[in-house]
Amino acid sequence: MKKMIRYLRSMQFGMLLLALVMACSFAGSMIVQQREPMEYVTRYGETWAQVILFLGLDDVFSAPFFLLLMAGLCLNLTLCSLVRLPKTIRAGKALLQRAENAQDVQPLDEGQREKLIGYFRARRYRCTERNGKNVYVKNLAGFYGSFLTHLSFLLILAVGAAAVLTAEVTDRAVMPGETVTLEDGVRVTVEAFQIVDETGRLDYASRLCAETEDGTKRARKEIRVNEPLGFEGYKIYQQTYGTAGSVRIDNLANGASEVMLLTESCFLTLDGRNGMFFQALYPGYVTAEDGSVTLITSTSGAYDDPVYDVLSVADGTMTPVLAFPDETLTIGDVSFTLLEPVSYPGLRIKHMNAAVLGALYAVFALLVAALYLCFFMTPVAVCVNENGYAVISPKTQTGLMIELEALLGEENA
Amino acid sequence: MEVLFFASVVGYFAATMLQTAGVALNREKLRKAAYGLFAAAFLLHTAFTAWRGVEAGRLPLANQFEFASGFAWSAAVMGLMLYGRMKQEWIKTVSMPVAFLVLSYAAFQPMEIKELMPALRSTWFALHIGSATFSYASFAIAGGMGLHYLIMLRKGHSEGETRMKQTDYMTYRLICLGFLLLTVVILSGAIWAEQAWSRWWSWDPKETWALITWILYAIYLHQRMRMKWQGKRMAWFAVIAVICVLFTFAGVNKLLPGLHSYAV
Repeated sequence: MKKMIRYLRSMQFGMLLLALVMACSFAGSMIVQQREPMEYVTRYGETWAQVILFLGLDDVFSAPFFLLLMAGLCLNLTLCSLVRLPKTIRAGKALLQRAENAQDVQPLDEGQREKLIGYFRARRYRCTERNGKNVYVKNLAGFYGSFLTHLSFLLILAVGAAAVLTAEVTDRAVMPGETVTLEDGVRVTVEAFQIVDETGRLDYASRLCAETEDGTKRARKEIRVNEPLGFEGYKIYQQTYGTAGSVRIDNLANGASEVMLLTESCFLTLDGRNGMFFQALYPGYVTAEDGSVTLITSTSGAYDDPVYDVLSVADGTMTPVLAFPDETLTIGDVSFTLLEPVSYPGLRIKHMNAAVLGALYAVFALLVAALYLCFFMTPVAVCVNENGYAVISPKTQTGLMIELEALLGEENA
Repeated sequence: MEVLFFASVVGYFAATMLQTAGVALNREKLRKAAYGLFAAAFLLHTAFTAWRGVEAGRLPLANQFEFASGFAWSAAVMGLMLYGRMKQEWIKTVSMPVAFLVLSYAAFQPMEIKELMPALRSTWFALHIGSATFSYASFAIAGGMGLHYLIMLRKGHSEGETRMKQTDYMTYRLICLGFLLLTVVILSGAIWAEQAWSRWWSWDPKETWALITWILYAIYLHQRMRMKWQGKRMAWFAVIAVICVLFTFAGVNKLLPGLHSYAV
């Protein structure tokens, strides 16, 4: 059992897990993920598709073996951190003692001693006198760099998993002017939506108003791709957008009128036989030199020259019609006036615990700080006595030794 | 103003050639001329970058050309700073070709200035992409130093034990710096992704390859710091790992489309 625990906390095991995570990531980036089985057959051939599906390489990052690797990594980090901490504290405490008792000293003459002390003072080494010996120390906090790096990495995995698992995400397409009511009564209204700004530059933005059920708290913000609205534990994102057709239907018999939005193909009719079948809305068209028209099927911007593709259905006869906004089709007693299309945002509404979010930011900052401590604050103690000097550090002090060599001359360093 | 860009490419190339000749023929004057040329090319490159930033009205790091140019500029900055501090010839010998090769790659990318797309209009843009240029530059110079170490080793230690140690140590320090910066890239990218796409991590090819690179260098650092690996093995590691960095930088954009495809 002891042997097993020793292996589970060992660096070899940690490196093995990292190498396996790397291999899985490689596979996950090279093989398209989360597609239908037939797509793998088409892309890679039947034999390889079978291998991919059998090994779960079609969804590597959610596969049990990958989650097991991550769990193993957490275990390795936990055990290694637990074992490392007491050792780190002991080593930190013993550094000054080791420097004081150092036997292997480099000889110094008086001039070199002065130079050396000046060097330490200029670099803000702290001088401590121990039993008549001067010990210059620096970066003692660096002792904890490695421990804190491992701890923060472990916390990132744990808090990151909590952030993903506790978040509730809903995607909603909301028309301008429409209000959605969330589970706890919070209401979100899309007051306006734009695809381009006043200068004509692409700028997908929704003007939102969010308020609590009792109306005591309210927030208004124009949200964009990098500027979500945060309100009462919710984060509301400008996730996507769409453009819907719009039609005014007038009943010529009784004067009734209604405006409808057309988001998908539908048959608009009063009697079930005659009416307008909406097929699609195109962003624009191109007219060739010979007069032929080609419809533009997609755009990342606004619909500049929208074209409605509809069927006029009358007495069992269907007539295809390409119509522009403000055109009217009269079919029997009903007239259909096609209007300017309406663009709308696709909102992503995410509810997550603020404490988890704060913790995640904190551990991100901790990892960066810990790496800085680990790499750039190497603890060092230099004992300077009548015989010479000795450098003591848990890490190889090549950089310091190079500088001291330059300072004192190679023959003495 | 593209002339500034091409002048800096030519300047880096000429500096690399002069430095190589100066080292091979052991001519101090040639090496000094190389350094002067390198500094001049760097100034031209800086002027070009500043002009492009003003012209575009943003930080010029939004596409493959601009990023490669920033990468080369970072390599030149690091080379000049390291040389200024350590006064070691081999630092120039390594950093000059890195700046030249990366900038040459940039020369083959589409150069037109495009408007910043909405997804990139963020306060995280500068930190995320700026850190990436310096991170890649650190790794690339470290790889160059690894190669330099191996060449010195092949010559049979004629360069001296101290210089071998220095090269080995500088390779390690640059990898430390690159690793720290790559961590900043990944973490700032995660925060940015959460703000933009509502997800911290999407296993997008660019993210995945940044993670692969991070793990690779994490293994390097563990082997170095805990297993006390040094010298030849670590030099080989530093050289081979650069392939991974280059794939993350350029290969992913060309071969693996994903959420970061606008970086092409």
